[in-house]
Amino acid sequence: MSNSKQETPVSTGFWNQVKASFKNQSTLLVVTLVVLGVVFQIASQGIFLTTNTLGTVLNDWGSYILLAVAQTFVVITGGIDLSVGATVSLSSVVAGWVLVKGMGLDNNTTGSDAIPYVLIAVLVSLLVGLAVGALNATLINVLKIVPFIATLATMGAMTGMAIIISGGMPLQGPNDFQLGMPYKVFGVQLPISTTVLAVMIITVLCGLFLHKSKFGLHTYALGSNPFATRAAGISPARHITKVYMLSGGLAGLAGAYAYIRLGAGSPTNGAGMELYAIAATVIGGASLMGGVGRIISVALGTLVLFTVQSGLLMVKVVTVSPSLKQVIVAILIAAAVAVQTLQKPGRK
Amino acid sequence: MNKRILSVGVAALAAAALTLGVTGCAPAKKLTIAFVMGAESDPFFQAMKVGAQAEAEAQGVDLVWQGDPSEYNVATQVPIVDNVLAQSPDGLVLIPTDPNGLQASADKAIEAGVAVAMVDTTVSDASKAVITITGDNADGGAKAADAIAAAIGYKDGKTYEVVVGLTSATATTNVGRLNGFKDRVASTYPGIQIKDVAYSASNPQTANSNVNNWLTKYPNLKGIFAIDGTNASGAAAALQAKNLVGKIALVGYDAYPANVDLLKQGVFTALIAQDPAAEARLAIKTLVEYIKNGTKAATHDVVIPNVTLDANTSAADFTKYTYVATN
Repeated sequence: MSNSKQETPVSTGFWNQVKASFKNQSTLLVVTLVVLGVVFQIASQGIFLTTNTLGTVLNDWGSYILLAVAQTFVVITGGIDLSVGATVSLSSVVAGWVLVKGMGLDNNTTGSDAIPYVLIAVLVSLLVGLAVGALNATLINVLKIVPFIATLATMGAMTGMAIIISGGMPLQGPNDFQLGMPYKVFGVQLPISTTVLAVMIITVLCGLFLHKSKFGLHTYALGSNPFATRAAGISPARHITKVYMLSGGLAGLAGAYAYIRLGAGSPTNGAGMELYAIAATVIGGASLMGGVGRIISVALGTLVLFTVQSGLLMVKVVTVSPSLKQVIVAILIAAAVAVQTLQKPGRK
Repeated sequence: MNKRILSVGVAALAAAALTLGVTGCAPAKKLTIAFVMGAESDPFFQAMKVGAQAEAEAQGVDLVWQGDPSEYNVATQVPIVDNVLAQSPDGLVLIPTDPNGLQASADKAIEAGVAVAMVDTTVSDASKAVITITGDNADGGAKAADAIAAAIGYKDGKTYEVVVGLTSATATTNVGRLNGFKDRVASTYPGIQIKDVAYSASNPQTANSNVNNWLTKYPNLKGIFAIDGTNASGAAAALQAKNLVGKIALVGYDAYPANVDLLKQGVFTALIAQDPAAEARLAIKTLVEYIKNGTKAATHDVVIPNVTLDANTSAADFTKYTYVATN
């Protein structure tokens, strides 16, 4: 946000101030969300801006935001992590395997009885994610494979592993579905559940980590100018390892989120998620060229993406066929990126 | 005279050699059956693999199990068939991912003298195959319509809102089942309104989101047809989380162990099950008999019907139809 202030020439006119604020990615996305909210509210005949629908939008946001945050860190270094979706599948499957095959449990353990096992699932998923991240880092640092190919290879391998471990079928274990259900506070239904709240806290922590810590500074430095970074005494290889392990760890947690959402570890739990995560990151203004990206904008970008996804399904005034829906989402992604590029001619 | 003795001698020698050859070679020559399926990640093919392995062992033949790890795709299947044929198998069981796209591969195998069986799907011209065995997806869709109608207590003159969760617009299994469902609704249950369909793109979290949104959009929703495993998982989780189990009829497809557990717990009203293991067993048995004895299949085009599993299904049938994983 501070970047745009520096770039914006001092202006006095109202119109200039409006124009200046539109150069700020987050403002632009908030305006987009408001417009989408109004349009879908009208088109859905008043059922879009309800706690039910917003709860579903936020639940989807929760499934993807950790992957988008992970992708933001990686993209800022100038890399990409295509393995995050496969990591969601694998981590949720391994969590399911540990509970079902390892501990002999099934889905008859429900409610608060299931909480300790859900925590085990979270821990196992996190460890699996970290291991995948370490593998990516090794392929990139030691074997000198470019991130796109290294993580593409890991994506294939982890998808295969998830199938082998699960036998291709969902592993259904202990779960408390209430963790994913929105809260009611003093009789007022909110659209936020425990899992969504947990993910929001992790997102804020990651934002602080990226924007306020030395680690974050090094991450930007690596993406902006790797040679200068090396000259400044930072080991690029070591930093790359940390970033890909962070990405893997977050993807692992997204796997735990999927497990809790579905009550099962399935080898397709993360199918196709990497592309939505990358799209959300780019809508949030991060540059695939490296050096640019902010967590708040990526969080809003992810929200825009899933507002559109749910909004199109809720439309009542016309029938939007599912195939047309795919086309509209694709056009919106392209438009979002085009708007940004046109708004920032000076930015790389 | 000499000539005659010589010729008799040669004939005797030849006969002896032939006899020796037959008795000597038979145990060494073990038949190889190649099996090229659609997508390893699909539980349907996992269950099929169990049947194939069991039958291969029973028949004493080697099984070469191949296919794309996760994508049901013509482009990746054609080279896999080529590679498998290069190993000169005696028989080939093929699950063609596209009726036209795999025609050349099937013809090539037959020309090379390989006995071919088509399973689950088929090619445009399968007349030279030893047998074709298909599951009936349209029949499964029709059975799903029957199951939903029974669950909601369908009466003529009343209207009922239902939705269908799909994976994509093009997956042949989805298309067949949806058409079967629509046809049966149109012919027998005119009061059932199919309000909406949506895609999950193979991700159960997306399927879950679709069902959650439908529950808001259609407050009078009576039934959900989850057309495959992904949609079944997503829909089952949505009904459980919202405490709507038993209030909305949920008919799923495929008897994964997880789905069968949920059926017994009442989350699913009914499951439509195929019998992929039986398809594989019949294909291998028919090929082996054809290669060894030249026995032709009694019926060239075999259709294995789907079954409806519900609260009234016997324990024996649950055991018979529940898909078994290979691990």
